Amino acid sequence: MLKSLSNGKTLLLLAICCLLGAALGGEAAYAEGEGASYNYSFWGTTVTSPAAYQATDLYNGSDLGVGAFKEPSDLHVTADNRIYVLDSGNNRIVILDERFKPVKVIDSFVRDGQADTFANPQGLFVTDRNEVIVADTGHNRVVHLDSEFNWVKTIEAPESDLLQANFKFQPVRVVMDKARRTYVMATGVFDGFMEFNAEGAFTSFIGANRVYIDPVEYFWKRISTQAQRSQMVMFTPTEFTNLDIDGEGFIYATNGDQWGDNIKKLNAQGNDILRRTGYFSPQGDIRYTIETGPSRLIDIDIGDSEIYSVLDSKRGRIFTYNGDGHFMYVFGGLGNLLGEFKTPTAIERMGEDFVVLDKALGEMTVFRTTAYGRTLNEAVRSYYRGDEQKAYELFNETINMNANLEFAYAGIGKALLRQGNYEEAMKHFKRSMDQANYSKAYLLHRKEVLRRYFGAIMTAIVAAAAISLAAVAYRKSARRKRGVTFE
Amino acid sequence: MNKELVKFPFHLIVHPFNGYWDLKYDRGRKFNLIVSWIVLFLLAVTNILGAQYSGFLVNLYNPNEMNSLLEVVYVVVPVLFWCVANWSLTTLMDGEGKFVEIFTSTCYALIPIVVINLPWIWLSNVISLQETSFYYFSNAVAVLWFLFLLFVGNMTVHQFTAGKTLGIMALTVVAMGFMAFIGLLFFSLVQQIIAFISVIYQELAMRS
Repeated sequence: MLKSLSNGKTLLLLAICCLLGAALGGEAAYAEGEGASYNYSFWGTTVTSPAAYQATDLYNGSDLGVGAFKEPSDLHVTADNRIYVLDSGNNRIVILDERFKPVKVIDSFVRDGQADTFANPQGLFVTDRNEVIVADTGHNRVVHLDSEFNWVKTIEAPESDLLQANFKFQPVRVVMDKARRTYVMATGVFDGFMEFNAEGAFTSFIGANRVYIDPVEYFWKRISTQAQRSQMVMFTPTEFTNLDIDGEGFIYATNGDQWGDNIKKLNAQGNDILRRTGYFSPQGDIRYTIETGPSRLIDIDIGDSEIYSVLDSKRGRIFTYNGDGHFMYVFGGLGNLLGEFKTPTAIERMGEDFVVLDKALGEMTVFRTTAYGRTLNEAVRSYYRGDEQKAYELFNETINMNANLEFAYAGIGKALLRQGNYEEAMKHFKRSMDQANYSKAYLLHRKEVLRRYFGAIMTAIVAAAAISLAAVAYRKSARRKRGVTFE
Repeated sequence: MNKELVKFPFHLIVHPFNGYWDLKYDRGRKFNLIVSWIVLFLLAVTNILGAQYSGFLVNLYNPNEMNSLLEVVYVVVPVLFWCVANWSLTTLMDGEGKFVEIFTSTCYALIPIVVINLPWIWLSNVISLQETSFYYFSNAVAVLWFLFLLFVGNMTVHQFTAGKTLGIMALTVVAMGFMAFIGLLFFSLVQQIIAFISVIYQELAMRS
């Protein structure tokens, strides 16, 4: 951190410290012990937090009795907790039930009476009706199978004026919405996601990322010749890294942006409508060294109640945010212990639990909630539902376990505000640094106080006015009596 | 005398042209210095109290970063920098003001900031978010008033024209920048020298 401060500032600070012999604030203390996690305070410092999730089980292909996974790259969990693993290296889909017992392995499908297979598929999506969409990257196509794994349709390389002549269709991630439109993330496409209609025809691009221009690079480009310029890298928008779709049909996407917003929630027009009203915009780690840089998010998963989680491939961590953009908890990491990964590539929620897929090791880690995680999840859900009394109780339980969780105080404050306990509500809003709600509670509190003491206040004012008037009158008459005149 | 100590500064901030004239030609140096130091002290106190006790809606307060001594430094150092820079420039440019006069005129100019901000420390606790614009408006008025007094003070003390005063004030800010730079350079060098000496001492101590 010291490096980022300009040298001058550090020196000035140092000089002042030496002159006055005043010590600045101490270092933050970190909790020791197993399972301790962290959160970020309003001031951007790292504060300790109990673990919300803990790894309980680890499965690989041979344990499951389906043969070792080879570079699996995606997984999907359906609403009835069936797990679909896309075993890319073996060109197959492995389906497990909620107890991780294999149900079925799909390595081929019948198309027009002929058997067809996958070639290095990268992306997998399962709809509400258990239809399977596979990004069959090696064959440059997207395959759509129904719930019985019969072939429905294939989306081949589209032909459109919007695409370049030498365009190569390499789909890597897919989702399908309720209207059976398919959204495809393809490599080398900078214009956003490719949208296909229910028949599989290409309609448009959606949600392109902004171009980030490096000022230094731009300067060099300005002063170089046409020939030189053609040799230089072009300014292109960053590609998306993953996408998921929520129950209402909004696409949540992550991208590899270093500077801009690396999580987006796209509406049908492709506008970013993610709420960023937390203390920091959702982006993974906000404190990092310059050498490692910010988080690189490669997967996103949306749970219920607008709670979403993102996977950081750089540090192997899974960050979870609520719909308002408040950072809830983080778990995972890179390493060799249970609950750490080598190359995490996909995350999915299975009810309350998390399944994380490791590509290189071909393993799945299952994370289950701790008491803290359960309470916090349930509190956020109750709050989202508008059940403020329940949220009040659960948030109170949460802060008993983790007093550092600042946004929880706002949840308590809102319930108190509804109950008419304005003074307590103000205290809680102050703790969560929520100025807008504090002001709301304060206005009501002020009105209450003024009403209660209106009689006393008015009496005091009237009495003060009367006394001062009387004093003036008395002084005047006294002067007149003494017969003193002023010039 | 005691009554004047309170009356004259208030007279000056509302009648700056007459007030500064009085300050330069009619008031004793000792009187001015007493008032100046009181104003500086009050300003520091205002800033410290403001940082600690201003309302939550206008002041997000992190107790870890609160340092009263630094608040004092933030008041005293800029004023001294300003005075030194202004004196250095005006001496070269036919200003009539002595250093003491520059210092006292600057301190008198700070009075509105104290007078306006001090009551707002309490007032900011009893306003809502919509009413904070009054707070920011008052702060802006205080600063503008201060700048106007600084301008009039400088003009009167040095007997400059208005245009020249504005020029000098701008140059003073530049000069302050230079001074800060040289100050940092100095501290950096001293630090290096100290480090060098301590390394030599370590070397000798470890060898023997």
